[in-house]
Amino acid sequence: MTLATIQGSSWPRLLLLAIVMPLLASSLPAQAASMSTSLFTESSERPNIVLILADDLGFTDLASYGSEISTPNLSTLAKNGLSFTNYHTAASCAPTRAMLLTGVNNHRAGVPNIPEMIPPQQRRHAHYQGTLGRNVVTVATLLQDNGYHTYMAGKWHLGMTPDLLPSRRGFEQTIALADSGADNWEQKPYLPIYEKANWFADGEETTLPEDFYSSRFLVDKAIEFIDSNHADDKPFFTYLPFQAVHMPVQAPQAFIDHYMGVYEAGPQALREQRHANATALGIVPASSPMVTMATTDDWQAMSAEKKRYEAKRMAVYAAMVEAMDYHIGRLIEYLKETDQYKKTIFIFASDNGSEASGLANQNTSLNQRVLRAQNYNADYTTLGLKGSFNAISPSFASASASPLAYYKFYVGEGGMRVPLIIAGDSIPLKNELSNAFSFVTDITPTILALTQTTKPAERYGGRKVEAIIGRNLLPLLNGHTKRVYAEQDSVGYELGGHAALFQGDFKISLNRAPLGNNEWRLYNIVTDPGESKDLSSMMPARLQNMLGLYHQFTIDNKVLPVAANYYAQRQVALNGLQQRFGSQILLMILTVLVVLPFYLVYRLSHK
Amino acid sequence: MKKVLSVIIALPAVMFIMTGLRWLVDPATAAAQFGMPLLDGIGLSTQIGDLAAFFIAGGMFVFIALITSKRSWYYPPIMLVGFTALFRVLAWLLHDATLAVQMIVPEIVIAVLLLAASRIIPEHE
Repeated sequence: MTLATIQGSSWPRLLLLAIVMPLLASSLPAQAASMSTSLFTESSERPNIVLILADDLGFTDLASYGSEISTPNLSTLAKNGLSFTNYHTAASCAPTRAMLLTGVNNHRAGVPNIPEMIPPQQRRHAHYQGTLGRNVVTVATLLQDNGYHTYMAGKWHLGMTPDLLPSRRGFEQTIALADSGADNWEQKPYLPIYEKANWFADGEETTLPEDFYSSRFLVDKAIEFIDSNHADDKPFFTYLPFQAVHMPVQAPQAFIDHYMGVYEAGPQALREQRHANATALGIVPASSPMVTMATTDDWQAMSAEKKRYEAKRMAVYAAMVEAMDYHIGRLIEYLKETDQYKKTIFIFASDNGSEASGLANQNTSLNQRVLRAQNYNADYTTLGLKGSFNAISPSFASASASPLAYYKFYVGEGGMRVPLIIAGDSIPLKNELSNAFSFVTDITPTILALTQTTKPAERYGGRKVEAIIGRNLLPLLNGHTKRVYAEQDSVGYELGGHAALFQGDFKISLNRAPLGNNEWRLYNIVTDPGESKDLSSMMPARLQNMLGLYHQFTIDNKVLPVAANYYAQRQVALNGLQQRFGSQILLMILTVLVVLPFYLVYRLSHK
Repeated sequence: MKKVLSVIIALPAVMFIMTGLRWLVDPATAAAQFGMPLLDGIGLSTQIGDLAAFFIAGGMFVFIALITSKRSWYYPPIMLVGFTALFRVLAWLLHDATLAVQMIVPEIVIAVLLLAASRIIPEHE
């Protein structure tokens, strides 16, 4: 439109233009942004989203990341999209889930740690409850409000009371485990801190079927939910957080059979093999060194019987990973059969790195006695089957995390760097790797962009909400950029005193006892993902600058310090005892205190 | 006979005090035992305040009755428990509440025991 045509217009048209032009102008940046990032601008059809979360899956536990474990369905997804090799998550379950589902830092979302690990002095603070706060909006709520069906089948662990369950946080149909974990074969708690395994269906307590196996059941439920609304034309968002491969590590015998004899060379050999595989696949740089973890036992010094037992522990773990992949394959098949696959985008990740809390010696008579009290055993012949309690040893956990250092709960890359695959027919990049830094808070904004859903404003649903801090990863999926975080951008992280800050290719980290030494280290995690070379003395200015940024992060996110003698596993035991028996013990003491004076007076007056 | 009856009525008194204390210590469990949701705000204040007071006072009345051997101290707990049973029936008749037989029966039994104790145990009017 030229100035001449405007001048030639009558005044009502000018008035209309005066009103319309600013509106058009204001919408242009948003439209431009949408066009540059949306994969679906040529189609009015919004994609279905399947968000799959494995539990405690290590960095190289998938075949496409260098594993010997057969995961053909996830490999197919990897070929149909982008695999991230520098993706980071929290080093523990619930903090990850809070960030994953909201795009907000876990400290601001009310989940600075899992509730089982929060000490009483921190629990006094409202934002240290370990449950998802009302000051955050879940991606499920946003998608539901944007016309999506929203389903969840799996572990929730963000609150157990009715108002905290997923059915009240945007999910339309749910089957949810509220605890940190549970048995995979029956409705049974895996730790004595729980009275029972707390499963809920659509917000109501529920019981599991007799033929329950976690991965099969959760996929069955996901399919059931999706199928229930298949007839209508609304897209769906399915959140599928597996119990696999959290302890107890259990799997069907048919899958275990695939791995009998596979791990007889021991954990160090496996760690080295996976390092070589990951290097060959381009998951880590060719020259990146790998440290030997102190938790890795000397395999050669073990007896033949011990080796046989440890190898089977790992075989069951591999079987559990493969079983999860098999059931993901069933979901994919269902979507193909019902003509929904092509319009579905899959996001697969793990909630943290590999778990090294399993006992080094699981088959001792003392441990067997403890397990028997919980109706478990750790017998070789039935390892991984119903009634068996199993976890991989810390030695094999180092292989699962290969070539990274440290494990779940710790801020080493082994605890925080996990696989992330974003795949679907509509993803432009196929079978590609991205070594761009990404963080768990990026998933929600990416889903919002994929589904053309608006981010929440300062207020949502009548209440003030925290702003999303994550980045939209679509420019990476489109191949428009190589990174979404600039060199100077930083991401801070803290969990139970373990602390880290990422900036550009660098990371500072502080690991506490028992595996850490409570000192800050500086690493280049792009060239040295195995964190073999501490650069703090070589780059003191960078270290100081990043320490300053971390300090600011703790202020901005109201991070509370932990006591010097805080030890997470001990806190779990104390909190568990207090939760299960604390009120009864207190009640008995108070009753005695109230009744005793009456009794004494009675005795005195009736002498 | 008096001693046996004293022990018999002391047991529900201890239970009353435990129930009252449970409302103070663990209101969620206490509410679940009574088949009610745990409220919030003023509702929670009323739930904890009224119910804890009801049960603790009820239990203490029995102990005071036993200590003082005065008949008049038996009447408050008899009224508390007896009226509770009566009003549960009225709630059923007038307000469509569930007829909580499993609660009404023990309440009547306790009221009758207290009434019997008030006749047998006291040494003072």
